[in-house]
Amino acid sequence: QSLEDCPLDEDEDAFQALGEEDEDIDQFNDDTFGAGAVDDDWQEAHERLAELEDKGVPSRDADGPVGNDGDVLGDPEDALAERLTRLVIDSDLEDPAIMQAVHTSGHTQPGALNSSIWDSSAVLRRIRGPLLAQEMPSVSVLDYALPQQPPQAREEERDPSERALPRRSSSPVIGSPPVRAVPIGTPPKQAAIPNFNQQVSARFPWLRGVQDASREVTVPLPSSQILCPKPVHIRATMQQRYPAPYGERMSPNQLCNVPNSSLLGHPFPHSVSPVLTHLQRAQLLGGAQVKPLPMLFQPLHRQDLQDLGLHGSSRSFSPSNPTLADSRHSIPTQAGRMSPSQFARVSGLVGSPLPSVNPKLLQGRVGQMMPPAGGFRAFFGAPPAPPPSQLPHPPGPGSHLQNLRWVPSLSHPLPRSQRPPLTLPGFPRPQMFRPDTTHLHPQHRRLLHQRQQQNRNQHRSLNGSGGDRGGHRSSHQEQIRKDPYANLMLQREKDWVSKIQMMQLQSTDPYLDDYYYQNYFQKLEKLAAAEEVHGDGPKKERTKLITPQVAKLEHTYKPVQFEGSLGKLTVSSVNNPRKMIDAVVTSRSEDDETKEKQVRDKRRQTLVTIEKTYSLLLDVEDYERRYLLSLEGERPALMGERKQKICDMYDNLRGKAPGQDRLSDDHFMQIMCIRKGKRLVARILPFLAPEQAADMLMATARNLPFLIKKDAQDEVLPCLLRPFSHVLYHLPLGTVTSLVQQLTNLPQSAAAPTNPHLTAVLQNKFGLSLLYLVLSRGEELQSSDTNTELIQDNQWTELMLMATRELLRIPQGALAKPVSIPSNLISLFSRYVDQQKLNLLETKL
Amino acid sequence: ARAWPGPTPLSLPAEKHLVLLRDGRTLIGFLRSIDQFANLVLHQTVERIHVGKKYGDIPRGIFVVRGENVVLLGEIDLEKESDTPLQQVSIEEILEEQRVELQAKQESEKLKVQALKERGLSVPRADTLDEY
Repeated sequence: QSLEDCPLDEDEDAFQALGEEDEDIDQFNDDTFGAGAVDDDWQEAHERLAELEDKGVPSRDADGPVGNDGDVLGDPEDALAERLTRLVIDSDLEDPAIMQAVHTSGHTQPGALNSSIWDSSAVLRRIRGPLLAQEMPSVSVLDYALPQQPPQAREEERDPSERALPRRSSSPVIGSPPVRAVPIGTPPKQAAIPNFNQQVSARFPWLRGVQDASREVTVPLPSSQILCPKPVHIRATMQQRYPAPYGERMSPNQLCNVPNSSLLGHPFPHSVSPVLTHLQRAQLLGGAQVKPLPMLFQPLHRQDLQDLGLHGSSRSFSPSNPTLADSRHSIPTQAGRMSPSQFARVSGLVGSPLPSVNPKLLQGRVGQMMPPAGGFRAFFGAPPAPPPSQLPHPPGPGSHLQNLRWVPSLSHPLPRSQRPPLTLPGFPRPQMFRPDTTHLHPQHRRLLHQRQQQNRNQHRSLNGSGGDRGGHRSSHQEQIRKDPYANLMLQREKDWVSKIQMMQLQSTDPYLDDYYYQNYFQKLEKLAAAEEVHGDGPKKERTKLITPQVAKLEHTYKPVQFEGSLGKLTVSSVNNPRKMIDAVVTSRSEDDETKEKQVRDKRRQTLVTIEKTYSLLLDVEDYERRYLLSLEGERPALMGERKQKICDMYDNLRGKAPGQDRLSDDHFMQIMCIRKGKRLVARILPFLAPEQAADMLMATARNLPFLIKKDAQDEVLPCLLRPFSHVLYHLPLGTVTSLVQQLTNLPQSAAAPTNPHLTAVLQNKFGLSLLYLVLSRGEELQSSDTNTELIQDNQWTELMLMATRELLRIPQGALAKPVSIPSNLISLFSRYVDQQKLNLLETKL
Repeated sequence: ARAWPGPTPLSLPAEKHLVLLRDGRTLIGFLRSIDQFANLVLHQTVERIHVGKKYGDIPRGIFVVRGENVVLLGEIDLEKESDTPLQQVSIEEILEEQRVELQAKQESEKLKVQALKERGLSVPRADTLDEY
């Protein structure tokens, strides 16, 4: 037995068990291929077996995967087989490797395809590993059918294998019909499918008529000839048991699963179809729930199509149109690829409100036919667009398309406007289809079309007068040659992902959600507008990517609560959450707090104040934009709001105390001690009225040494220079004088030997710069305005004299490096000192 | 990203894409598939290692990249691709250069840590995942 020869480690028990049941499996084989094959359907078989069971046959199980014939029953070994097979999960038993192994072991039927291939355990070994590891249904991996399938002429086998139900990778529901998969080695059916039709209609009546949109597309699991021993991952065939995301029942996977109805009529050349089928199948398996369907590996005949009466239907992909319009609609146009029989119904399509299939899809399919992995022979010999005159094509070994044909198709979700016009067969549509690019960024779209144009021109020049069809084909071929994998992603898949991305961009308040993008685009637009004004050139395309706008809906969700009930509702979900914790705010008592805590609290209070003021500030800064966006009537209200907020801010900064005199700078100082506070003040200053701003300036000057000390680490004070200078610009001389007084702490009482205030100021960058600024302003005022009052003038002069004296006194090294030295300082000092001292001053500064 | 970066329709030749991963690798290949998580399927991928002005390509085949590791993805302008001041070298050479660079970096890092330690400071170890 080859089984024993196989050096397989895994599932040894199972294998041994299977080894024991060799004969049974052989029997099954015989049923399938040999004389025992009976034209049964599983329902009858099931009933029969059930009856037997009822009758008390102890060992016979009704839904074993093994053969169902009467002669098999009662065989004790069969009983054992049944029991053992129940132990092993379905998929395992149906695992191709196991099946093959079993097949290979005893099967010597002549002409059995599998034996010719799977005789060697080496092959088995090679396959088994990856298969078992993946536990995928055999189809996806091993079904990479390669073109030249040896001709099968097994009429007998046809029916059971047709009848075979696809394997289930989900655990079977109790009471469900038995799953009997055809072993991998079963050659594909070649014969016509009249009885197949019957079976279809008998078993799946629902497939005939209108299909419910909510029904998941089913995929048959065909068993095909495995010619290539090398397993290939196509796509994980995971069954989709959960509803598709975003509330859509159909995912692109499912879309792909539905056989593209365009393929139904395709008389593809042999060389092309198998892979197509295979890949398609793989895709199909990718998302669909597998439901039992008979084998569908048969060449499509026109006759069959008409018999079925169900070619497919256009079904909209979008959730807004879930219902199937009319299953009797013919297959949407696939230019040049429709069989005449289908063409008769094409007219129905025109009236359909649903989008048609994208002809490019076909091309996509065609494009997909190239094997992605390198290990496969390229069989893409003939041009993919055979003229319809090739119909009907002979039932060759290669045509494996039609496993999909009688499942309703989902057409490509093209909007109606973009539906390509119908064309007669024989005139394939030129490649002018423009995919739905509304979701592309305008620049991208432009580039895309540019390139399309280029290519089109290229091709036209290349093909000359080959005619549409010729040109199309050769350009297509060229594309294939250039890049056979170019269309691995279907347009609908791309659209789907695009859609998801667009959904993510939905926003009720774009300025809130996507501030930087909005600002960036505003800037760009401003630039463009400015340029346009200058250049006076043609208006450039300034289309923005249209992001979906969602209306702002006010949702205040209040969880359901019943009065007087104990506890909370247990039902809660993402969309209706319930309150988990009842948080209650308790304020702490003042008694127990230590000094540290108090200090900490005070600081926290300050921080809170800063934060509140900051939000006010942000709102105020935003008013300009809102002003522009708002209507005329609303504007005064907006302005009022803004003013109010500014007042609030000022109050916050200075320490709001309605009844009290604002004598203490304490609050302000607290804020200024914090880095963020300083920055906040710098930002607020432009909004304040001059008096208020001057007030702040004074407070700062008054307490400058303190601030300097606090700022030693942060060094944020210089950020205040700019707004301060702006403020200074508006100040009258009197204020300036007092400012200087504050800054320099002059005049001092004679008793004080040193002027630490001034020293501190002078030694700090910010302080010195501020002093210079103030002095410069004073000088400006003096020189410009000759009408200043005498008193002020005197004050100023005195101050200046003292200041100058101090400056002279201080050693140069002690002076800080100011941010900038205003130019008129020299002239200022020149008024009060003689030339010698002036020079000295000059060198110092 | 606001533009659809996906693979091109059949009418256009395939475009090369450049992907930068979170671990600093640069991959260049034909983007065959993408999904909403930015999982990518790259075909005929080449890993490009840059050291200074030189670069080297290592052919890698097919890549499936999990979206969370993608930093950015962009299309390569085929015309501009040849127009680069960088110099292509062999794989061995670039790997050697990379090793040398890495070594130098490690040594300087070590010295830095040592210096900091002497001064009583210590820099917490950065999260290894986000080195770049």
